[in-house]
Amino acid sequence: MASFLIARLASALVVIFGVVCTVFLLIHLVPGDPVELMLGESAQPADRAALREALGLDRPLPVQLGVYLERLAHLDLGQSLHSQRPVAEVLAARLPATAELAVAALLVAIVTALPLGVLAATHHNGAWDTGAMGFSLLGVSIPNFWMGPLLILVFSIGLGWTPVSGRSGLASLILPALTLGTALAAILARMVRSSLLEVLNEDYIRTARAKGLSPAAVMWRHALRNAWLPVITVLGLQLGALLGGAVVTETVFSWPGVGSLMIEAIQKRDYPVVQGCVLVIAVAYVVVNTLTDLVYGWIDPRIRLGDA
Amino acid sequence: MSRLLAFFILVFVAGCGGHVTPPDRVRLGIASPATTLDPRFATDATSSRVVRLLYRRLVDFDPAGRPVPALAKWEAITPTHYRLRLGREGRVFSDGSRLTAADVKATYASVLDPATASPHRTTLTLIERIRVIDDDTLDFFIDRPDPLFPAYLVLGIVPAHALAGKDALNEQPMGSGPFELEEWRDDGAMLLRARSDGRRVELVPVKDPTVRTLKLLRGEIDLLQNDLPPELYHYLDARGTMRLHRRRGSNFTYLGFNMQDPATSDLRVRQAVAHAIDRTRIIRYVLHGGARRAEALLPPEHWAGNPDLKPIQYDPALARRLLHAAGYSARHPLHLVYKTSTDPFRVRLATIIQHQLKEVGIDTEVRSYDWGTFYGDIKAGRFQMYSLSWVGIRTPDVFRYVFHSTSLPPEGANRGRYASAEVDRLIGQAESAPSLAAQAPLYRRIQQQLHEDLPYVPLWYEDQVVVARASIRGYRLAADGNYDGLIDVRRGRAHQ
Repeated sequence: MASFLIARLASALVVIFGVVCTVFLLIHLVPGDPVELMLGESAQPADRAALREALGLDRPLPVQLGVYLERLAHLDLGQSLHSQRPVAEVLAARLPATAELAVAALLVAIVTALPLGVLAATHHNGAWDTGAMGFSLLGVSIPNFWMGPLLILVFSIGLGWTPVSGRSGLASLILPALTLGTALAAILARMVRSSLLEVLNEDYIRTARAKGLSPAAVMWRHALRNAWLPVITVLGLQLGALLGGAVVTETVFSWPGVGSLMIEAIQKRDYPVVQGCVLVIAVAYVVVNTLTDLVYGWIDPRIRLGDA
Repeated sequence: MSRLLAFFILVFVAGCGGHVTPPDRVRLGIASPATTLDPRFATDATSSRVVRLLYRRLVDFDPAGRPVPALAKWEAITPTHYRLRLGREGRVFSDGSRLTAADVKATYASVLDPATASPHRTTLTLIERIRVIDDDTLDFFIDRPDPLFPAYLVLGIVPAHALAGKDALNEQPMGSGPFELEEWRDDGAMLLRARSDGRRVELVPVKDPTVRTLKLLRGEIDLLQNDLPPELYHYLDARGTMRLHRRRGSNFTYLGFNMQDPATSDLRVRQAVAHAIDRTRIIRYVLHGGARRAEALLPPEHWAGNPDLKPIQYDPALARRLLHAAGYSARHPLHLVYKTSTDPFRVRLATIIQHQLKEVGIDTEVRSYDWGTFYGDIKAGRFQMYSLSWVGIRTPDVFRYVFHSTSLPPEGANRGRYASAEVDRLIGQAESAPSLAAQAPLYRRIQQQLHEDLPYVPLWYEDQVVVARASIRGYRLAADGNYDGLIDVRRGRAHQ
């Protein structure tokens, strides 16, 4: 286990380093000048040059990258070019909202996908299966920018149950979580179904049934536990994406998370903030995927991590 | 599983029950949050408008764009020496200290200091020296005569003692304006408190226009001003439960040409494009009547505007003849690239113009880019045709900035590389005229010349629009879309 963790940590550092360097170079290659956007078109060349120097943007790109990496090694993400606030502070203000939305969306997805997937698998080719998979297809097909306003129209305007947008308590979390969770639920439901269909034909399930176990016990104790592995893989990848910020959902619901922060920063060419956001996303992916690998061992004791 | 479901139901029920409106608060929905509250750095629309509420400025403008006294009256002692006398109103900062001539000097000196890196410095570099006479009087000395000088004195005045660090002033603004900042949340929402009676106004950023509209319907915000697609105004107006007010605006939308491009440098091509666009139909059906046709950058009611310009008529037959004369035909069609931003409404307009140009035989390719890329391309001259708007133009010195042959980016905003000896001469002549009255006819001639040369096809001036819930009273819509109407806004008894 220890060797596994060390190996994962090392590969994670390499991945994060690669992502940071690539994004640093790419964002500087994108047309658009932060100094221009800050000072406006009418600024004098001397003023532009002075600000460029003050922000360190006049140095060669490799030097800028070196300075950035050196600061990063000291856990200093730099300062926002526009607000002059430390990037870590800006991110810290946005991360709770993103984490809250990601966890809520994940809960919505699991709570919806699990029964749907089980229903579909246990009523294979029946009406339940068709209905569940129809819902799943719908969930995957409806884009969030349409689903969001639709939910608002029904639950906020029509029924008056929830706020339209913003982050103002638990009620405001419901619609963004439903919007984000529905698409994920659709993917998960399909995964649960196909995985269960495979497992339900295994010999040990037949044996469990022959032993006289109730259908529920067979399903929960034997089938689902073994069907979880592929589902968890997808879940891990999706959670990484959710923690990286759900840009469209955050925009529709004015949810002040990392996704909307990154979009604003890209538009303003606020390089350090973009870098900070990308770093958070990369770390989220790596951490969640490492945790996913660890969970494999817990779900299926036959898997021994680190035994090459 | 059942516990999890119960938890969700509990959360849902606990969270429901509608949104309670605090009775002392009027909420304005805005498209984007302010980026700074320091008047030395505010340039984006929201920041500039909020800064007007927090700080007072020396000079403001009348409806015709003439500078009028705000904090101070001025007197031109010589063409390069202006004396300003501060009035009695608006002289107390939010920390209780008194606004004096020393604060005015400190504010302008700070902006003029290159180390401050203020985006407003360029406009003010003609200031040579500022001399404080007493607490209420100060002199500005400029390096050349400029009758427009008072119109440049529109910076919000900050206390001299608060100028030590720009971060502090940005987060804790200290002005003498009608409001003070009570809270600025991480999501960009801002709570302002009226200094006169403690009323609160909240600015709520909601990026998506549809969601902004729905929030208004639901009563989560009380007012919306501009930044909505025209069909949403129409939708709100048709419901009958909202009050919609319009007033003539001066924000100018245009189509710009690259004058160094082989195709668009030909006047006949630019004229053909101008005559091929049916502005009347676009205004009626796409903008739902929320604009008026423009013939020049300054509207005709501006003191330097030209009301005598002959409107460019929609005449597709003439457009075809002009194209034919320029050497284009069905076998050899004109192909143009039209660049615009990714704003859905701007893309829709570009598509409509593309269709209208197609009717006269111009094959147009629309390319939309994110703002940074689009703006970079336009500045670098990497375009044939683009559309943009000039927002908040007050003074005719904009003609030097936009059309003088020496104002190519980065020195100015002559993005189309327009060069006219006649326009250069008239700009110089206008700038050396001794008064606004003497400048006005010269600026009118400049607009006449531009109307003939067509470096821009003038399209329209968009209206200012506000939609408010029926309970909202006293909001006055400004011609430039500022938020000054919040000073007198009240919630009436009709609120649900």
